[in-house]
Amino acid sequence: MTDAGGQAAVGGTLAGGGASPSRERSLRSPWTLVIAAAVAIVALFPVFSDDLYYQNLIILSMVFAVGAVGLNVITGYAGYISLGQGAFIGLGAYTVGICVGDIGGSPWVWVPVAGLLSSLVAALLGVVAMRARGHSFVIMTIAFLFLMQLLATNWDSLTNGTGGITLPIPTWSVEYQYWPFYYSLMGLLAVSLIGSWWIRRNKFGMGLIAIREDEDKAATVGVSTPTYKILAFAASAVFVGMAGGVYGYYISFIDPLGMFNILLSVQIVLSLLLGGRATLWGPVLGAFIIEWLNETTNNELGGGNTRLVIFGGLLVAVVMFLPRGIIPTIDGWLERRRTRGKAGLAGERLSGIDLHAREAPPAKELAPDAPALLEVKGLERTFGGVRAVDGASFTVPEGSITALIGPNGSGKTTIFNLVGGTMAPQQGEVWFDGQRIDGKPPWKRAHLGLGRTFQITRLFREMTVLENVVAPLRDFHLGLLGAGAVSGPEASRAEELLEFVGMRKYRDVRAAELSYGQMKLVELAQILMLDPKLIMLDEPAGGINPTLIERIGEMIRELNAGGKTFLIVEHNMPFVLGLCNPVLVLARGQAIARGTPEEIQRDPKVLDAYLGEDFRLEEPVRT
Amino acid sequence: MTEFLQALILGLLIGGVYALLAAGLTLIFGVMNVINIAHGAFLILAAFITWSLWRATGVDPLAAIVVLTPVMFAFGWLLYNATIRPIRKAPPAASVLLTFGIALLLEGIMGAVWGNTSHSVRPSYFTQSFQIGEIFLPKAQVFGGLVAIVVLISLYLVLTRSWLGRAIRASAVNPQGAELVGVNVASVAALTFAIGVASAGAGGAIASVLYPFLPGSHYQWIARLLGIIVLGGMGSLPGAVIGALCLGVAELMTVTYIGPEWATGVPYLFVFIVLLLRPQGLLGTRLRQDVATA
Repeated sequence: MTDAGGQAAVGGTLAGGGASPSRERSLRSPWTLVIAAAVAIVALFPVFSDDLYYQNLIILSMVFAVGAVGLNVITGYAGYISLGQGAFIGLGAYTVGICVGDIGGSPWVWVPVAGLLSSLVAALLGVVAMRARGHSFVIMTIAFLFLMQLLATNWDSLTNGTGGITLPIPTWSVEYQYWPFYYSLMGLLAVSLIGSWWIRRNKFGMGLIAIREDEDKAATVGVSTPTYKILAFAASAVFVGMAGGVYGYYISFIDPLGMFNILLSVQIVLSLLLGGRATLWGPVLGAFIIEWLNETTNNELGGGNTRLVIFGGLLVAVVMFLPRGIIPTIDGWLERRRTRGKAGLAGERLSGIDLHAREAPPAKELAPDAPALLEVKGLERTFGGVRAVDGASFTVPEGSITALIGPNGSGKTTIFNLVGGTMAPQQGEVWFDGQRIDGKPPWKRAHLGLGRTFQITRLFREMTVLENVVAPLRDFHLGLLGAGAVSGPEASRAEELLEFVGMRKYRDVRAAELSYGQMKLVELAQILMLDPKLIMLDEPAGGINPTLIERIGEMIRELNAGGKTFLIVEHNMPFVLGLCNPVLVLARGQAIARGTPEEIQRDPKVLDAYLGEDFRLEEPVRT
Repeated sequence: MTEFLQALILGLLIGGVYALLAAGLTLIFGVMNVINIAHGAFLILAAFITWSLWRATGVDPLAAIVVLTPVMFAFGWLLYNATIRPIRKAPPAASVLLTFGIALLLEGIMGAVWGNTSHSVRPSYFTQSFQIGEIFLPKAQVFGGLVAIVVLISLYLVLTRSWLGRAIRASAVNPQGAELVGVNVASVAALTFAIGVASAGAGGAIASVLYPFLPGSHYQWIARLLGIIVLGGMGSLPGAVIGALCLGVAELMTVTYIGPEWATGVPYLFVFIVLLLRPQGLLGTRLRQDVATA
């Protein structure tokens, strides 16, 4: 895209908050008309046609569409695949069936209760999932589905077991056919879509996408991942539960095998995959296609085994040949056509002017009695039998640029993980800014003012550079979830930071398209967004060219002059010794020396453990 | 007491069969980071083939292992190269959905070929038991458990004593490193998958005698096997054996003291308890995640 095009689009698309601005934008042009026409046809169909076959087909499609839109919240946005989504249809249906039978009243009254109960159960799943990642999560959702089926089968007194529950026959005039079912489901689908759209354009969706892209990283930039996940699960189930209640009433018979059939889940998952994950309308499109296929198979090919073969084959085919789904694939195709022949930004080098635009301030003399901003006491962490960190104790004075050096395997990165909260120490304490933080989760530490980068740079790859920079959160409260994904002040602050690291031009480029050095710069801007008191950099000079190393050194000095404290792990000795004071030396998991660069270079213990007897610093880099 | 001892011994024997089946699943996960949801369908397929062989020739189902293992090995190797290999670089979720699709496909095909009714293989000793004191041990269970243990030990020997075994373990621990020292990780992955499917073949032949089966039984089996590897620690072979023995005993205890209709719930309970208390499982390790690149 051109720079000007990107500029113009920001107000609408980025505030729209999706993972992919291009997709959001193209929703306007080619899709708007198609969607409007489809919605109008579906809305008016029962008025103009009394064909019950198609009414039935659309009703079932809408049940699955609600399911797929819900699943999209956890699978499309947050990246958690669930094979248990169908269970919420069953749970909703059973809630309505049991309540009508045992308490009485119209089934409609109980539909909201079904939604509430489903989202409650889903939130509980979210609690379990707090510690289950990726594969264990999928396994948990399968276990959940089968457990529900088992309960429905065996808990006779409540569910009447395999005998099932029969719901009362609708009381309205035959003249109205299935209209109440039809329009209530259409209403539920509309509310689900509004919910999905709302989540995606706000901080909530931004956080979920950050979780999808890199969950540990999201936590270190202040995203309270468990809260996000639990709320996402609850949100994903509420309307599905209600749709399940309506569905149960509609088919008027509820039994364990029909309601907790894994094929319901398969149909929902297939709908989402086929239509397109993380898109607004993809799950709806997919649901209508798949339900049509389902009915056709049942009516014309005998259902049963043929249906299994078709669903199974389709699942295999979609994963192998259409992994992104219909809508993103068409969008990608349209996007390629539009941008054909236009030069991309990625790959451009930083211009010389950028590099020397600013005079670096002179190195600040550190007050000898500066208070400790970070204090680590007797930290220990083992991996199996390896003592990675073995009683390390040190302090980082406020306002300093402290270096942490040592041979490979001496525990530097592990210390970063323990201080940042990605990992818990087995022994010892971490104090930051007068508070003990070793029991706090990473996002709380980020809120307190601790920012870190990773040795192998980690950005949210599918987000743009600007979205990456605004993703960090300096605080968290529930109200924040509803705030726009990129507010005006945030966007301008992010632009300033990108300007500072010289990456402003790349604002709308996908992070995955950047070079390694560029990623480092963006990651620095990203943690600066937290306005941290302490910035921990893990090998800022690793794997990048000498000019950029100089530039990073300059930036560190400048930020330091502005009041930021640094803790830097680095192997590039000229860089470290020219920039940092004090220097801490780590060996075998313990801090063995501390001093000015001059003292460290002469310390026999350090020469022995790390630098080597023949170490001579040829020319300290003075940036 | 007798009742308890009987349940314990039968649980351990069944656990041996579970161990063989779970070993293949955990091996595939360990090397390829693929949860093979089709593992249950593979073992039911093996059970149906055993049934057909037994009906046609009267061959002992446990002896049918000699035929089934190579057949399933070849089937696994072909299937891996045709479906999983092309999506090796895709996110892990893709392989879960893919193998799930394969499971559905197989379920449909088996339903068309053998029908959706319950089958079981009944060799001559099916109704006989060994009696030790007051404890009755059905011969089928004893033979099945022993054969499973023998196959499991041979699998273990292949993994620890052969070049292929070393290559498999190297690929599991560090694929890039293995590639650098001359292991063709993609081929090793194909062989591992084939070995996993072959072990499901052997296990399926044994299971055909122990439990009645129909095409849809694969859900129950995969739930059971997933419960085992979650408990033992995903990717850990000793963990799978321990998890399998625990599940075997826990199921038999549930049947004896609570009621047979709740026995299928035991693996689900395993999954939830483990994920809440110790997500890495009994023998699983937590890896450093910061150095694992995306």
